[in-house]
Amino acid sequence: MEGLNLKPGDRVKIEVNGNIISGTVMPRSAYEPPDAITLKLSNGYNIGVSLKGVKVLEVEEGGLNIPIEEGEGAEEIGNGPRVLILGTGGTIASRIDYRTGAVRPALSAKRLVEMIPELPNHATISVKTLMNELSENMRPAYWKQMALTVANAFMSGYEAVIIAHGTDTMHYTSAALSFALDGLPGPVVLVGSQRSSDRPSSDAYSNLLGAVLFSTKAKLSGVYVAMHGSTSDDVIAIHSGVRVRKLHTSRRDAFRSVNSRPVAHVNVNSLEVKAEATGEEKEGKLSVYPEFDDSAFLLKFYPGIRDSFIDAIVKEGVKAMILEGTGLGHVGRYVFERLNRFIKMGGFVGMTSQCIWGSVNMNVYETGRDLLSLGIVPLGDMLSEVALVKAMWGLGNGFDLHEIMPKNLRGELRERREVEA
Amino acid sequence: MKVGFEIHIQLNTTEKLFCSCSPQASDTGFFTFYRRLRASPSELGEVDPAAAFEMEKGQKITYVAGNKTSCLVEADEEPPHEPNPEAIKSAIKIANIFGSVIVDEIHFMRKIVVDGSNPSGFQRTAIVGLGGSFTHRGKSVGLTTICLEEDAARLEKKEKEGPVYSLDRQGVPLLEITTEPLELSPGDAESLARNIGRTLKLTGLFARGLGTIRQDVNLSMEGHGVVEVKGVQKLEQIKKVMEFEEKRQGWLIEVAKRLRERGITEEEIDSLSPVDVTDELLRSSSGKVRDLVNRGRAFGVRAPGFESLIGSEPIPDARLGLDLADLCRLFGIGGIIHSDEIGKYGLESDIISSLRSKLGLKESDGFLIAIAGEDQFARCFPYLKERLKAALSGPIAETRAATAKGTTRFMRPRPGASRMYPETDVPTIMISSKMKEEYRLSIKSWDEMVNDYAKRYSLPRQLAEQVLDSDFAGWFDEVLQKHKVQPSVVASLVAQVLSSLENQQAINLGEFERLIDAWEKGLVSKEAVIDIARQMAEKGMGFDQAVGSLNVKPLSVEELRSIIKEKLEELKGEGFSEGRLYGALMGRVMEVARGRIDGKVVNEEVKKAIEEAKRSQS
Ligand SMILES: [Zn+2]
Repeated sequence: MEGLNLKPGDRVKIEVNGNIISGTVMPRSAYEPPDAITLKLSNGYNIGVSLKGVKVLEVEEGGLNIPIEEGEGAEEIGNGPRVLILGTGGTIASRIDYRTGAVRPALSAKRLVEMIPELPNHATISVKTLMNELSENMRPAYWKQMALTVANAFMSGYEAVIIAHGTDTMHYTSAALSFALDGLPGPVVLVGSQRSSDRPSSDAYSNLLGAVLFSTKAKLSGVYVAMHGSTSDDVIAIHSGVRVRKLHTSRRDAFRSVNSRPVAHVNVNSLEVKAEATGEEKEGKLSVYPEFDDSAFLLKFYPGIRDSFIDAIVKEGVKAMILEGTGLGHVGRYVFERLNRFIKMGGFVGMTSQCIWGSVNMNVYETGRDLLSLGIVPLGDMLSEVALVKAMWGLGNGFDLHEIMPKNLRGELRERREVEA
Repeated sequence: MKVGFEIHIQLNTTEKLFCSCSPQASDTGFFTFYRRLRASPSELGEVDPAAAFEMEKGQKITYVAGNKTSCLVEADEEPPHEPNPEAIKSAIKIANIFGSVIVDEIHFMRKIVVDGSNPSGFQRTAIVGLGGSFTHRGKSVGLTTICLEEDAARLEKKEKEGPVYSLDRQGVPLLEITTEPLELSPGDAESLARNIGRTLKLTGLFARGLGTIRQDVNLSMEGHGVVEVKGVQKLEQIKKVMEFEEKRQGWLIEVAKRLRERGITEEEIDSLSPVDVTDELLRSSSGKVRDLVNRGRAFGVRAPGFESLIGSEPIPDARLGLDLADLCRLFGIGGIIHSDEIGKYGLESDIISSLRSKLGLKESDGFLIAIAGEDQFARCFPYLKERLKAALSGPIAETRAATAKGTTRFMRPRPGASRMYPETDVPTIMISSKMKEEYRLSIKSWDEMVNDYAKRYSLPRQLAEQVLDSDFAGWFDEVLQKHKVQPSVVASLVAQVLSSLENQQAINLGEFERLIDAWEKGLVSKEAVIDIARQMAEKGMGFDQAVGSLNVKPLSVEELRSIIKEKLEELKGEGFSEGRLYGALMGRVMEVARGRIDGKVVNEEVKKAIEEAKRSQS
């Protein structure tokens, strides 16, 4: 493209093998070969033309007018309880990136409100773009930023906070906020989408609407995740922030409550909110514990894992290790010694299960009893990701892990699991 | 009038374009889900008018998915896989046949379609070839594009809350060939479409069978928007549709002229606002009006300068009033009354005059009254106003649907270029110059193909051509492979019965195969095959029912002999001369035996009976 000096937005007329083609030069992805151009024809189609043997007949310069979404909107729109929508990025707020050809988080949360005209009928909405990160780029520092922003929002009179978030790590963030915010006066609902909001079939709209309806009608405080309950644009499931996991790579109903039923279901057609169980209603003052220490490690045990790998992790300065053991909470005898050494050095080791569903129980088999005697702490039906986040949070805020990890703080650890869940 | 075609034909790949489901599989729905689609802005931030229009209808869309015929990709629950290489190869071969410039990179686009026919809300489509030409009756017809695209879901039915689609067709690879608009007579246009279709069939790259080839027809008058007519099922329909559109569009030009003469401007129409006239109408004692008004509120709109222009029509169903009513119907508004047909409703004259004054009607003004819910009407009204405004400029670009009668009905505004944006889930496909060179086909001429076919099945040339032109050539080959029967009879069944049916989609080919099977087993005579088939086709009967309804129970030779004997006695009583006896007897016997036993047998037996009668006399 350089050789011919064509820039995105230029309108050109070129000749290829005696045929005249007119179009607008479009930006190209870094992964597409540089010796060709992408042309948008007048019928809207894009084609790729190799520059070899191309004769440029006419060039008319013209910038490409791709609108930049503005994030901030200080104004409040709508009627009813004041709800803050925080944009953090992800598919729910993505559009195409011409550089890579992939979807990029760029849509502002404000835009989402424009796309869902019914939203303002149920709440007074304000929008704030906090960050623009894909889910996989989230880190504990961002959790802290979100926790502080949410706390501030409640202190300045908002009745609910909705966080638009990428889906891949949304359940880590929901766990982090659950622990960081104690005594929340209202709901914090994380919402994402599995289909980007630039497509007509996006689930972003109904998920966001479901989140707003839940947060204004259910009157439950705590941290939740709102996503499709099935493949239909029908019922939105509201999951507890510490009981939820992404369990499918692409389906709309990828998020499921594990070991419990969703807290509520919102029908976005009839606008009904049905609470199936009570949320974590907390009385009292909001306390914020926003720190996270990333010296915790999540280790998935597998047959044949080399014990020297554990040494390497320990050498890196890990303070807490969450094991994803097999079955009821086991690891092979061949790693006992290394775990024992780590615990003796003052490290914390907690046991969760890679089965995802069910609770660990280390009293059933001998291996389990041996592990208990090593000082490994069973973490019941706590999800391994939740346990990891909890350990980071415990370390960050100076709690004793041996005390807090086996204790239920936010509903992450339950003694009862119902037959139908 | 200029005519251009978009010909869609199904490639015969073993897998769909973006997943591994088989286009040939069939099953019945086992899973149902619902979606709502919203129009979203394109990469350039514009919302397509057609998409916005569909979204305003706010429909609940139901999908029925079969496990064998669809997977998560069709349900828009999994990203598309890489495009099927067979399909790409075929598309390049076709582009080479027409001498199109093959692109160096295929960029799949998302073409926004918000009527629900694609669960994603868009159809994936890409240009493979640009330009090229086709020689028709010595003239070169230019092609604009050759595209590779995925087929949409199949509309099963329309329910009150929205359409129901089956996912079996979704994602089947189609090739779309678009011709340059050309001044053609209706007859010429029809034969052009037929000849392009024939050329495509010659390649052997396409699936055969019902609905595997479809054409949209683009029609435009000089200086006016392009009207895209969808759903032209049969080539014979093209002529009728063109003649209809020529009259309809001509009339719209006349309407525009008269409105201008009456001094109507766009500004005047822009400033219109609806008036609630429910109370006025409720004063009427006309049952018709009261029934209508009880369904909602009545919203009246002044139609400046439209007096007599809404209800007039140059040919049946080409009136503006029908378009306006169709537009409202798309928003779920069933009741529309307009000034040119107010007489039909038995409204009292004092009510009409109070309506006129409430709507602020001037001389030569018309009006429309829609019975609707308030929200419903609010969504529809901007489009109604746009439609009235468009009447000032004659025929406008829009998408219309062909009817079985050969007329067309309004479907939606014509989508623009802003409905296209890149499909980022599918990587760019590079086409090397080696591929462009290698993927070529040498094809026979149509005449050669017909002659070969005629020879293969010992068919008269014309009959062979009729079979090849029909959507039943695949079925024909299949049946003759399975059954040892005379090909010409099956060919006649295809040409005379199946091809001439209006609604070919409703044909149950399995039942027709049962007929062939019964004939092969001697349960039905050759002569009866066509009669039974016709009965099945015309009355929509199954094989058993058709046989039962016709007197075609096969005769044994013994039964035939006793019929001959009986008829011979009758004739004796009537005193026939010996010379005329044979003809008369054959006639009488055939009345009863036609189609129930081989004609040759009847002939022999009749002769025998006459000989015997002579012998016994002498
Ligand atoms: Zn599939």
